[in-house]
Parts: sequence; structure tokens; C-alpha cells
Amino acid sequence: MKKKRYAIVLDTRRCIDCKACTVACKAENDVPLGDDKFRNWVSEEPLRGRYPNLGQSFAPSQCNQCENPPCNSVCPTSATGITAGGIVTVNPDKCIGCKYCMLACPYDARYFNEETGVIDKCTFCIQRIAVGRIPACVETCPTKVRTFGDLNDPNSEVSLLLAKNRYRVLKPELGTKPFLFYLI
Amino acid sequence: MSRLIDKKLSRRRFLGTSTCALATATVGSQARVLKALAESGEVTTSKVAGSKDVFTACGMCVNKCGVIARVRDGRIHKLDPNPDYIKSRGMLCARGNAGVKVVYDPDRLKYPLIRAGKRGEGKWRRASWDEALDLVAKKMNAIAEKYTRAGVMFASTEGTFQEHFFLQMAECFGSPNTVRHPTLCLSSNIQGFSATYGTFPTPDVLNSDYIIMAGANRSEALITPDSIDQLKGDGGRRKLVYIDPRFTKTAAKADEWLPIKPGTDMAFVLAMIHVIVAEGLYAKDFVETLTVGFDKLVPHIKPYTPEWAEKECEIPARDIRRIAREFAKAAPKAVFYPGRRSSFADDDVQLRRAMAILNAVIGNWDTEGGLVPNSKIKLQKHDYLAPWYDDVPERIDKGSAVFLSEKDGSWTAMRDRILAGKPYPVKGMMIYKQNVVMSVPNRAKTLKMMDQMDFICTIDITMSDTAWYSDVVLPEATYLERQDPLESLSGILPVVAFRQPCIEAMFESKPNLWIMQNLAKRLGSEIAETFDFTMDDLIHHQVSKNPKILKDLKSNGVHYMKVLPTYGLTRGKRLRTKTGKIEIYSANYAKKGLDPLPVYTKHAEVPAGKFRLLVGRNAYFTHWTTANNAYLHELMPENTLWLNTTSAKKLGLIDGQKVKVKSPVGEGTLKLEVTDKIRPDCVYMAHGFGVLSKGQSLIYGVGACDAALIEEKLEPISGNVAMHQTFVEVSPA
Amino acid sequence: MSAIVNKPGQMLWFFLLGGCLIAAAAAAGYSFMVGHEQAFNVTRGVPWGILIATYVFLAISCSGLCLISSLGHVFGFEEFTLICRRAILLAILCLMGAFGAIGLDLERPFNMIYTLLSPNFSSAIWWMGTVYGVYLGVLVIEFYALMTDNHKLSMITGSLGFLFAIAAPSVLGSVFGLTLARPFWHGAFLPVYILITALVSGTALISMVMYFQHALRGLEMDEKDRRVIRLLGRILRLMLFVLIFSVFWNIIVGLYGAQPGHYEPVKALVSGSLSANFWLGEIVIGLVVPLFLLMRKNRTPFSTMMASLMALIGMFFMRYDMTVAGQIYPMRQGAKGLTDGLFTYSPSVSEILIVIGCIAFSALVYTLVEKFLSLDLESEHHSQATPDNS
Repeated sequence: MKKKRYAIVLDTRRCIDCKACTVACKAENDVPLGDDKFRNWVSEEPLRGRYPNLGQSFAPSQCNQCENPPCNSVCPTSATGITAGGIVTVNPDKCIGCKYCMLACPYDARYFNEETGVIDKCTFCIQRIAVGRIPACVETCPTKVRTFGDLNDPNSEVSLLLAKNRYRVLKPELGTKPFLFYLI
Repeated sequence: MSRLIDKKLSRRRFLGTSTCALATATVGSQARVLKALAESGEVTTSKVAGSKDVFTACGMCVNKCGVIARVRDGRIHKLDPNPDYIKSRGMLCARGNAGVKVVYDPDRLKYPLIRAGKRGEGKWRRASWDEALDLVAKKMNAIAEKYTRAGVMFASTEGTFQEHFFLQMAECFGSPNTVRHPTLCLSSNIQGFSATYGTFPTPDVLNSDYIIMAGANRSEALITPDSIDQLKGDGGRRKLVYIDPRFTKTAAKADEWLPIKPGTDMAFVLAMIHVIVAEGLYAKDFVETLTVGFDKLVPHIKPYTPEWAEKECEIPARDIRRIAREFAKAAPKAVFYPGRRSSFADDDVQLRRAMAILNAVIGNWDTEGGLVPNSKIKLQKHDYLAPWYDDVPERIDKGSAVFLSEKDGSWTAMRDRILAGKPYPVKGMMIYKQNVVMSVPNRAKTLKMMDQMDFICTIDITMSDTAWYSDVVLPEATYLERQDPLESLSGILPVVAFRQPCIEAMFESKPNLWIMQNLAKRLGSEIAETFDFTMDDLIHHQVSKNPKILKDLKSNGVHYMKVLPTYGLTRGKRLRTKTGKIEIYSANYAKKGLDPLPVYTKHAEVPAGKFRLLVGRNAYFTHWTTANNAYLHELMPENTLWLNTTSAKKLGLIDGQKVKVKSPVGEGTLKLEVTDKIRPDCVYMAHGFGVLSKGQSLIYGVGACDAALIEEKLEPISGNVAMHQTFVEVSPA
Repeated sequence: MSAIVNKPGQMLWFFLLGGCLIAAAAAAGYSFMVGHEQAFNVTRGVPWGILIATYVFLAISCSGLCLISSLGHVFGFEEFTLICRRAILLAILCLMGAFGAIGLDLERPFNMIYTLLSPNFSSAIWWMGTVYGVYLGVLVIEFYALMTDNHKLSMITGSLGFLFAIAAPSVLGSVFGLTLARPFWHGAFLPVYILITALVSGTALISMVMYFQHALRGLEMDEKDRRVIRLLGRILRLMLFVLIFSVFWNIIVGLYGAQPGHYEPVKALVSGSLSANFWLGEIVIGLVVPLFLLMRKNRTPFSTMMASLMALIGMFFMRYDMTVAGQIYPMRQGAKGLTDGLFTYSPSVSEILIVIGCIAFSALVYTLVEKFLSLDLESEHHSQATPDNS
């Protein structure tokens, strides 16, 4: 069997900023309370135009599970690692909590979890993937902004979406090779 | 003074004898997850024992979405959407996900409480259920004895699936004075559409090509499946025209946003009808065969030109014309969305009539992408025969509205009459989870009404403002801890939902059925006997004609009959109107002295220096119930007053400063949010803050309460309250 | 030695430092009990606070001290040999203080073992930790060699120490310089700049020590001492000059073209939330006034000391500003807790107490060693300040 490479494709045009993904993630992954504690988020982009001609978009995001993750390069104890499927994880037993990875990540994907005492981040709900389920944020989304799947499978939904649509990634200039794809 | 015991009784058991225990239906087990995790070595897990997945239904708002509760070690870890639950399209919103924090809320009511200090002082003593229920029964009987049984009013929430027992208690106790939320919400809407179609239909959002939403903020006021379906067509096929004085998240998703002047929606709708009729764009065959009164509509609509409407509603005439033409062109797969909350202005029923007529003339009735009558899956009803009491007067609010619901009443009309003590005194309040202090406009008046009560008992899961002002507070088990009866949810694709306990009820909280049964025992055997059944009995009775329902619920968490809509079932059949047709002209209204066709009336303009206060929803909160939820509180820790950028500049106010908002009936202080997202003549604040109860620890002392500011105005046809007719002053705090 | 005991301020000095240490220990204990999140003002947006700034300050001072002392026992500038022992001792203590600051900033310091068990050679922090770890060992041996007048050993360790003193600050600079996501830090500038600042800190620190070890003991400086202080002043003057240009170009590069992510932090320094720190702390106290003092013809050891003290204070501001400024630009739109589009940070009481504690530790141990061991060279002879001493 071919190796898997997980990715999430986002169609932000569908996003209504209901923040179901954020709460679902917090519950699923025992993310502590606190408005700066989250593995994923939806930000309101600035209002466009002037009253009464207005427009606004919403930007859901999370860890990009980069192919070339800066957080992985900077971790002094190799607590950060890339597991099967390309998911970037933190091994809580090795993390010293120096927070260097939080600074290295250009996507604000990492936070310090004071309950576990180590850095925490999105793992595409690796515990759910392990049993054939999809990440909580993907599953719970009312308007199905996110699509999750294996990019190494040319027939997967994510592969088809990327084949048929134009898309962008965040901060491509940094060379991180993100695996969150935003449809244009 | 009525006598207590003079009743004609004829009871009958509503149930057979079948009592087979309802084993909790679960989906697979978490064991597989944990095993896989352990093998992957990624996550260390030791907790395998006691894990189960339980099908249930969400209880965070009115939608009752399908939920799979993941229980680990006797603790609800995560609520996942039930993918089979077609009504919610297999999703769960932020509130649904935050349900775990309802159960594990430190602010939860844990034990029965009896007031120890003055009302509203917040001094309580813990009581046993026996003591508390004895006291409630004693007080209820005392009031019934001193006044009449109508002297105890019953205010109930909806959607817990257990409110039926509360209403049964009201009926069996013998009080006609039950009151529920519709007159604070959608009763105008139901009245206006029902007067036209004989029923309140559902828009087929999924298949509609052209949707006009007026004040129905579907991206924030989530309604399943509409909120989900409105986005399905995104990407070209679907056109969404959104009309709202605020630029909401629905506006952000709409193709067009028209910031209409509040209270003038009818001008827009009438002008659309005008264009469609005048230009002959209406569905001629349809109008001819399926409606009555079109001939009367034609002259009636003549003066309502787009040019006239432009002056009223401030939407350019050319836009109205264009939208009317586009709408008619897309017909019948076009719909003017009926919305839900209809508490806008005091002629709201006629606005809804106009909306219904607009839909009728393009012929979208009972077609794909149009207005579709609901179907419903039949469950057997719980029949009981309520004791009969003599000398119990009629509803206190009788006659306060032309079409008053016997069960739901009219909240503000009722309050006024209670305060006046006319025609008779109401001195006791039994409240089931309705937060009347925060929900009914003009909070000061509600508190005054409560002040004159001899006794107030509130059943709730948390210390609401209403509970805070009560004499006895009874803790109910939350929706994740209860076995609820099955509930049939109507819609284009109807479903049956149910709730099963995911964990045992915590502390001393009890399901409402238990509370009612034990209260009934204390109120006398006649009442008690109507409650002489178990939840198992009831559920088996509900499905006695179709046991497959329960089987489906156990195996999939939901029962449904079809996954594809069926249209046109009403074709060739009489509608439930007087004429059996769609009544563009309502002879019934004419008979009652009402306008048989909607006539536009001007409302009061915003006085100089003041702003119109708007109410509206956001996707994180269900009314007052969730602002104190730990997860949701993070998403919106306080409410702000929206004020247009130019208006703020005129007042010299800046973003983020504290401002005082003052209306004729109250005031509040909150942070100002200067934004282009609202009309310059309006202000808006989210509901749920400015609480009085210190039992809402996360939000006590934060923000302002809109209910304290809003002047209640009554819609005389439906008894609905009009909430957008309050003008406020804004000044620096 | 007896003189120092008799000084009336001495008890006060020890009480003061002891008090600082106790307060810091309490703050550290508190932070471990309630968690860093509660005790410290660091956030998701600004995860590195004043403790990291203090670490940088002390660690870089350590390297600077080494570089200065190596002028004597490595490069053979005779004048500097008399400061060797003190410089190396101070370097060791600064480094220990630095380790204290970063150790208390780490959330799980005991997991440090994994730097050995599963090292990540691409991590700048791993290299920094390793270099400074080994460096500390070298310094201890060097100090031993100097104290025992083992010239061969001190030569070897001194040379090694010199290499480390060059390598360590630049590796430390690379911790910041290699963060691609942070344009204000990213690039080759920081490793070099840090090296320059190392010399400023080291020179300033040793000048102060030289001054105070005489002044506080009531010792008269002989010509040798005066000459060293003068030379140190000259080095400091030179380095401050170089530093002014570094700072100038760093600011210009940031402002020029207003590149997002680089511009905003620089703007914050020049006219934003960090401008008081920058203009008053870095420029006036840290650069302009010391330079002015050092340029004066008739400068005395006292004025050199004052210039050094101010330069040192300026250096602290520089570390703090560099650490904070690099983080205030949010990595994404719509992040929470922004003021005018930027994060803000100000240290909590616990953080400040720990910082004071780390510095107090170095100062206390230094004074104790100074009190109980002779740090003067055998060859040196100090005479009491008596009238017959010309």
C-alpha cells in the first residue's frame, strides 16, 4: 500500500464563522479553556468597502502540516516529529517547553497547553484517523468548509478538489510546503 | 372563591401494560480507538474501561440535531454529529459541541434550593427534594384556594422534549394560564402564512435558485437544514438576496445585501408584488387554479410602486424592480424566505401575509425549490384526562389578540393583565426553564410582575435571572443525562429524534418527568394518576403503531421515512384554509375586521438624536442559555453596542469606549463597537448579557441586557411582541 | 579582606541580594505552582518574555567577559592579565544566572535530558544549549587554571574559551536569526550584532567590577589599574561606535520599504509601544551618554564606570526590545489581543522578581568569592590607601 499524505482542502466561501470547528476541536482534544488556547480557529477578515457596500470573508485555519515544517527544525529535543501521513506531532514526553517552535511557526498553529505542560497543536485528530474517522473540525462543520483526505490517493476527494479547482496555500514564500489548501 | 374539590373525573390509563426496559442504544465502542492509539504510540491512553458511544439529540437550541455522545470513563468527552441525522445534514455547531460544558458547568444547579433572604438577594438554603416539593405543592394549593386555580401561571420553554409534562401539570392542576415563547418569537409569522396557506410551510432552501431573506440571519441564527443548505448553491447557481439593517454573517455570504429601513419590509414586499403583477410575471395558471382573491389583489397593489417603496424602505426602486423580475424569472424555484422570528413591528402579521402572497403569485407552492408544506411522522400521543374543575376562569389574556393561541398565550398582554390584577389575580408562577426576566421585553415590568407574586418556583439547570428571583429552584437533569420521550420533528424531510442518558444525572438533578410526578403526588391522587407511567411506558406507547421507529432510533439515532423530498402532495387536495385554496384575499380577516389584503402602515420614525434598537442572533448563543457556557463564553465574552461609523463620529464616540444606552423603560452600560455593519439610524446588541443573577459567574456584571431596554409593543392580530420599535439614546458612560 | 568586612554597606548589600534571591525563589515557586501561564505575562502571541531577554543579556555578557579577558592570557596584552580571574569568574556566574533565567522559563526543564537522548542537530537552540553547556565547563577549568596559576592550562582553556566566546553569542544570535517566520529577527545580522554587543557588555561589566573592587574596599588604584580601566573605556568607546551604526542600519533596513513583519516591530521601537525603551533605554542611556562620558578628555575611572553602568543598562533594554519586538507582529490576521495590529507584552511581577534573582545570584556569589578568595594575581601588590602612597 502506498504511503498516505493527509491534507485538508478548505472552501472558505462556505464558511459562516460559526466556530463549530474550534469548539469541536477543543472538546475532542481536551484543549484547555482560554481564548488563546486553540488548535484551530476562524478569523474574521477585515471588512471590505464602506457602508452600504460591504464584504467580508472568514478564514478558518489550523496547523498546515507542512512538508518542511520550521517547528520541526527548531525543536532541540526532537519532541516535534513528522508521523505517518505527514502529520506533525509533539511528543509530550520530550518537550521541554522552550516555545521556540511557537516562534518558528509562521501560522500561529502552536500554543502552550498548561494542563499538559507542553506545546500542543493540531494533529488532524490523529486519534480519530487511527480508527478510520475524520478530524473533528472536518466532521462537525455545518457547511462542510473542510475536506480531509489522502493526497497520495489520486481518487480521494481532496485530490479531486485540487485537480479541478484553483487553490492557494498560506505564506508559500517561506517554503514550508503547507498541506492546507484553500480553494480560490 | 372556587372550591378545591369539585371535579368531574373520568380517568383512563393511556398506556397498555407493556413495560420493556429501554436499554441504552450505543454505537460501537471507543475500544477500537484506544487500541489503535496505543499501537501507534502517539498518544498514551490508559482509560479504556467504561467507554461507550450513545445516540442522542442535541438540546442546545431548537433544532435538536443528532448527536453521538462519546463517553469515556463515565464522563462525556465529546459530542459528535450523527452522520445519519438528515435534518441537520450530519453537522453539529459550536453550541452543539459546547454541550459537554453544560453538564460539567460549575454554575449548574445541584440541589433544590429554597430562598433564604429577600427575593433577588441571592440567599439560598439547600433543601431536600421532599421539603422543596412539599413547599411547592403547599403554595400552589394555597394560591388555588385563595384565588382560583388560574391564579397559578405556568411558563414553559420548548424543545427539552419534557415540556409536555409541565404543560400536562398545568392542565391537570387546572390553570388555563400557560405561556410559552411563540409571542416573543414567531407567532405573527405562523399566523400570516397559515392565514394564507392553512399551514406554516418550509422553504426548500436546498433546491431553490433564488432566495430572498429578510431579517432571517441564517448564517448566525442557525436553523437546520436551512443554514446549511443556503451555502450549498454557493458558486454561481444560487442567488441569495439578503435584507437586514445589519451586515450580518448572512450578509457576508449573500450576493446582495440591502440595508433596509427597519419596519418597512412590507413596502419592499408589496412593491415586488406590484412589479410581478403589473408586468404580468406571475404564475397565471397557478394563480387561477390554486388561489382566491387575485382579482382583488390587482387593484390593491396598484399604488405600491417601487418608486413609492423606495421612499419608505430606502431600497432603490430600480433594485426592487430588478429583484422582482429576477425572482419571478427563477420561479417556481424561488422563495421569499418566511424566516422564523417575526417580532419586528406591530403590524407583523400583515407583513407575513404580504410575504406569503408574494410567494403565492410566483406559484412556488409545494414545488421543488419553493414553499413546501411540512410532513410529520406520526407518534402515538400520550392521552390523559385532566381533572375537571369548576369555576376556573378563562385565560387571563383572553381577547388580547385576534388569534390568540390557547396554549401559548401572549406574553406581554398576560403580564399587563397580571399587573393590573384584572380580570382576576395571578399570584403564583411555575416556570419550566423559561427565563422570563431576560426574555420578555421590558425587564423592569417583568420584575414588577414577579414582585406581586405570592410564590415563584423555577425548574432549570442553571441559576437564570428568573431562578434568581424565585422562591424555590429545582434542578433539572441536563439533556445529556435524561431519557426523553421521542419527538417528531416536522419538515420537508421529517425525522423522529430521541434522547437517552449518556451519563447518570449528576448531583441531585432530576428529569422533569420525575419532578412533575413527585409534585403531582403531593397535589392529589387525581393529578398523580395522570402521571402514573414510566418513561419506558411512554416511549413504547409512542411507537406502539410503528415499532420500527424505536428500532431505528436505537440503531441509528434517528428515524426517517424518506431521504428525498416529495413535492406536490397537496395538489388536487383542499388546503386547510376556509376556501381550501391559497387565500390571497382573506375573507376570514375581513370578517374579523382586519385588512383582508396587507395594507402598508407607516411606523414612527427614529426621533432626532436617538437610534432604533435592533435585536438579533449570533451563532454562538441560544438566547440567554449559553452566554455562561465556558466554551461559548470564549467566543463572545461580552456584548457590544454596534453603532455606525458616521453616527459614532457625530456623537464623538470611539470604538471600545463604554457607553450608556437609555430607553424609556431602562438602561444599560456596555462597550461600543463602531462599525460600518449597521445602518446609521440603528444600534444593536447581542442578547444574553447584563444578567442579574450572580449564579452566572462568567458573565455577571458584563455587558447590557436588551430586554431591560426594549419597550413592548403588541401585534394585535397574533399577540406577538414587536421588538424593533424602541428608540434609545447613546451617551458616554 | 578585612577592609571589606568593615565597610558599613556590606551587610546591607548581602541583605539586599539575599532578599532578592528569596523573593525570586518565591516567585519561581509560585510560577511552578500556579503555572507559567498564570504567573508570567507571556502569551501565545509573545511566548518569550523578559526571562529570555535576561538569559540573552547574561549569556552574552559572559562571552564578552571572556573575550576581554582573553586579551590578557591568550593574546598576551599584559595590561589585561590582571582582570583575568575576575572576568572569568564573572563569566561563569553570568552564565549560571543565564541558565537560571532560561531554566525557569522552560516549562519542562527536566526533559532537557532529551537534548542528549534525541538531539536535533538542525535546532539552533540545541547548538546554543550544547555550546554554552560545554563552554561553562571550559570556563570552570579556565578559572581553576587561573587561580592555580597553571599557565599552560589557562592558555589552552583560554584559547578554547575565546573560540567559544566567539561561537556562543553567534549561535545564540542564530536562534533568532534562523526564524524564517520573523522578518525582524531573520537574517545574518543578528549573529554578528550579538557578537558586537557581547564586547560592549563584557567590557562594561569588567570596567565596573574593576572600579568597585577598588572603590568599595577603599583601595587606591595604581597606575596599572588606571591604565586597564582607561583601555577598557577605549574598547567600550570603539564598540559603542560600532554598535550605534549597527542599530542605525538595523532601524533603517526595517523602515525602508515598510516590509510587513519587519517594518512594524521597528516602527514599534521608533514610535510605538517600545519607543520609550528604545529611545531612552537603548539610545540615550545605552549609547549616547556613555559615549559622551567616554569621549571626554579628562575622564576618570568613575566616569568610565558610570559609562559602563549605563551601557550595561542600555544593553539590557536592547535584549528586551529585541526579544519582544521580534514577536509583536502577529503571524496571522485576526489574532486576538492585538493593540493597533500588534501584540503587547509587559513583564509580570513574578517575571521581574526572577530576573532580579538571577542577577542577584551572580552578584552575590561574586561578592562572596571576592570576599573569601583572593582574585588578585600573585604579582599584583595592593597597598592600602595610606598617605605615603603616591
